Amino acid sequence: MTTSDATANEGELQPSVILTINGLAVNAHKGMTLVEAAWHAGVPRVTSVGCMEGVCGSCRVMLRRGKEVTVGLACQTFVEDGIEAVLLPPASAPQHHYELSDFKDGWDIHARFQDIFPEASRCRHCHGCDNACPKGITVENGVALAVAGRYREAGDAFFECVMCELCDVACPELIAPAHVGLFSRRITAHFHQRPPNLIHRLEELRQDKSGTTQEEKDE
Amino acid sequence: MSNGIPLAEALARYRPDADLGPLPELTDTDTLLNAYHPDHLRGSVVKLAVGANAGDSCQRDLAGLLQSEAFIDEADLAGTPVTDIDVLVIGGGGAGCAAALMAAEKGARVLLATKLRLGDSNTVMAEGGIQAAIEPDDSIQRHIQDTLRGGHHAGDPALVSAMAGDGPDVLRWLIRQGMQFEQTPSGDLHTRRAGGMSAARLVHCRDYTGLEMMRVLREAVIQHRSIEVWEQSPAVELLSNELGQKCVGAVLTSLLDGQLRIVRTRSVILATGGLGRLHLNGFPTSNHLGATGDGLVLAYRIGARLRELDSFQYHPTGLLHPSHLSGKLVTEGVRAAGALLVNGLGRRFIDELLPRDMVCAAILRECSEGRGIRIDDQRVGVWLDTPRLERANPGLLEQQFPNLMTRTRVSGIDPRLEPLLVHPTLHYQNGGAVIDTNGATTVPGLYAVGEVAGGIHGRNRIMGNALLEIISFGRRAGIAATANRDRGPKKVTLEHVNRLRRALTLAGMPMTQRAPQVLPAYAAGGVWNR
Ligand SMILES: Cc1cc2nc3c(=O)[nH]c(=O)nc-3n(C[C@H](O)[C@H](O)[C@H](O)COP(=O)(O)OP(=O)(O)OC[C@H]3O[C@@H](n4cnc5c(N)ncnc54)[C@H](O)[C@@H]3O)c2cc1C
Ligand code: SF4
Ligand code: SF4
Ligand code: FES
Repeated sequence: MTTSDATANEGELQPSVILTINGLAVNAHKGMTLVEAAWHAGVPRVTSVGCMEGVCGSCRVMLRRGKEVTVGLACQTFVEDGIEAVLLPPASAPQHHYELSDFKDGWDIHARFQDIFPEASRCRHCHGCDNACPKGITVENGVALAVAGRYREAGDAFFECVMCELCDVACPELIAPAHVGLFSRRITAHFHQRPPNLIHRLEELRQDKSGTTQEEKDE
Repeated sequence: MSNGIPLAEALARYRPDADLGPLPELTDTDTLLNAYHPDHLRGSVVKLAVGANAGDSCQRDLAGLLQSEAFIDEADLAGTPVTDIDVLVIGGGGAGCAAALMAAEKGARVLLATKLRLGDSNTVMAEGGIQAAIEPDDSIQRHIQDTLRGGHHAGDPALVSAMAGDGPDVLRWLIRQGMQFEQTPSGDLHTRRAGGMSAARLVHCRDYTGLEMMRVLREAVIQHRSIEVWEQSPAVELLSNELGQKCVGAVLTSLLDGQLRIVRTRSVILATGGLGRLHLNGFPTSNHLGATGDGLVLAYRIGARLRELDSFQYHPTGLLHPSHLSGKLVTEGVRAAGALLVNGLGRRFIDELLPRDMVCAAILRECSEGRGIRIDDQRVGVWLDTPRLERANPGLLEQQFPNLMTRTRVSGIDPRLEPLLVHPTLHYQNGGAVIDTNGATTVPGLYAVGEVAGGIHGRNRIMGNALLEIISFGRRAGIAATANRDRGPKKVTLEHVNRLRRALTLAGMPMTQRAPQVLPAYAAGGVWNR
């Protein structure tokens, strides 16, 4: 059985790796993630961590290997010799505001979208967002689909989005692609998911049949 | 544990098309549970000496935290900035967001304070799905029965009925918030049947149900005009009125600069989630970093009654390998889709879709009786036979479990070709604060919703009921907390802390340990340093 101490990786037998995290020299072991390495070395203020399995998008990190600079998720990045990692602060509050309850009708969504995300149509196809995305999402194309009013397809493109908002940071036009993606997904559900099996059960409950099955009614 | 079949030997023997032999009959489930379930480990349960549950059984590590010293003193309150708000929600997972949205919808000004980032939670990690009785051959009544039976009839029938009855409307509400679910070609919500269910009732968004729920609720909360969000702001104490008998606020700290803040309010909704990161009984966990049981500690100190403090869910299939994913989950959906459990001898040993506590005990039995697969002296597990599933349904893993595939790909493992090595992992807190159908605890002004609350799952939770519970009771508490229109607190005090201190002194208990824990020791190198 693995014990709690071992959750910070039982790397003793692994060769050691030297890197920097938040400017501090860190001694780690091969096979550790950056998060484990930071804890292992006692790097202070490492609280932008949640799931440790690449699904919550909190552990945003900037990585420098020589001249090359990339971004990623610290819990999904393994230590490498000489790499410089800087854990990024939480994203600032979004600049695009809407409440779904304000939308009365699916027909004017496209007009509303242009009001809420006016920058989206100014995408300069720089691939900044695609390069930043740790999930390999075709962000740029997703934005283009939304701009074309194809919200279902746009939303599908963002299916594996983990809300890290690294694409928002990368976007020179401040389009907030992550929120474009979420908007597309949300209005698709809000206006178009009308599942008959659910609706039928809701209607039964409304008529207070209490959702009993036929046999139970016969009993 | 040095017995077990060495990994190399077991791998050499493994064939995805081998005959697994007959399933041995399970004759006596009670004996299996008593002998092998971690809740029954000798010495792991003690009796609480002080507080509302004095005399009740409680897991040892948790008991230490419930009966401990606070971080905050009266001296800390002087000069601390005060914020007044209608409703304070503590915890930014699914339950907290649902409560905040409902309270705001009912006209309250809401502050949602959360320990890490909004959405860093167990909710975001949920894969399998959410239960709701929507199929024609299913009913609310059957959902209630399955839940009570799964919980060994220790659940509160009133809470279970409330939750099961809410199921269909919870789905409607989530869709209105913008959450997508898997649909059949004709547009029905796709349902699966999983362990402990008598009908197909698990609604899902592939194996990203929690992520889809969390990103939608997170966005809805962030976008809401009447909800303010404070991140990196864990609650470290609740506040009571002069008599120590009513909850009137909380003390928050900041993980960024250590600054304390007082929040004064009419209603506090605790939605702090579970406690996997306490690593009870030395087990690995599937939980997110913030799951340190803070809500239980805070609620107990202010006098709330808790329940089932000796009952936890160990998920049968936590990953044993690779080590950085130790304890991480392989969703039960994979077993529901047909994956079998196989021991080191290449035999099936349990019906994979029995309730989790039994499957878990059966795996631990295989491991301790030498039929497990051994990586090293500390790590023994059994196979989850994903290649066999893939052979029977080519493409199914990629199609239905992209999350599992992505996670293992990063580590160079392909579950379509190699079986996964699994071992039970600390997953869920079955009990929690005693609540009524509004989510109200036994302390006026204090509500508890989600994993921090108890009474629904009895002594064992069946899959998909947690995600339903958090929305069902989150909404209920949001509404009830807003209806509380009294004039609000005149004075905020730590009278309840003093009361517990006196009780601890009288009982001759040491006050060396402080709680809540906030972060696990291995992650606490930051400002939060004890
Ligand atoms: C890997 C995994 C898979 C799961 N799969 C399923 C599934 O398929 N179906 C299902 O029904 N259930 C599933 N569950 C269970 C379910 O996800 C959780 O029980 C449920 O989401 C809990 O929701 P919650 O809002 O109560 O708590 P959480 O979602 O955990 O949210 C609690 C929040 O409170 C914050 N917090 C904690 N302490 C403090 C404090 N002191 N001050 C301020 N904030 C604090 C935390 O940081 C967190 O944001 C799964 C759980 C896990 C871990
Ligand atoms: S689309 Fe943007 S927010 Fe989503 S995962 Fe990719 S970079 Fe992160
Ligand atoms: S980063 Fe912004 S501007 Fe560049 S391609 Fe992406 S959305 Fe367009
Ligand atoms: S900690 Fe959640 S994505 Fe890294």
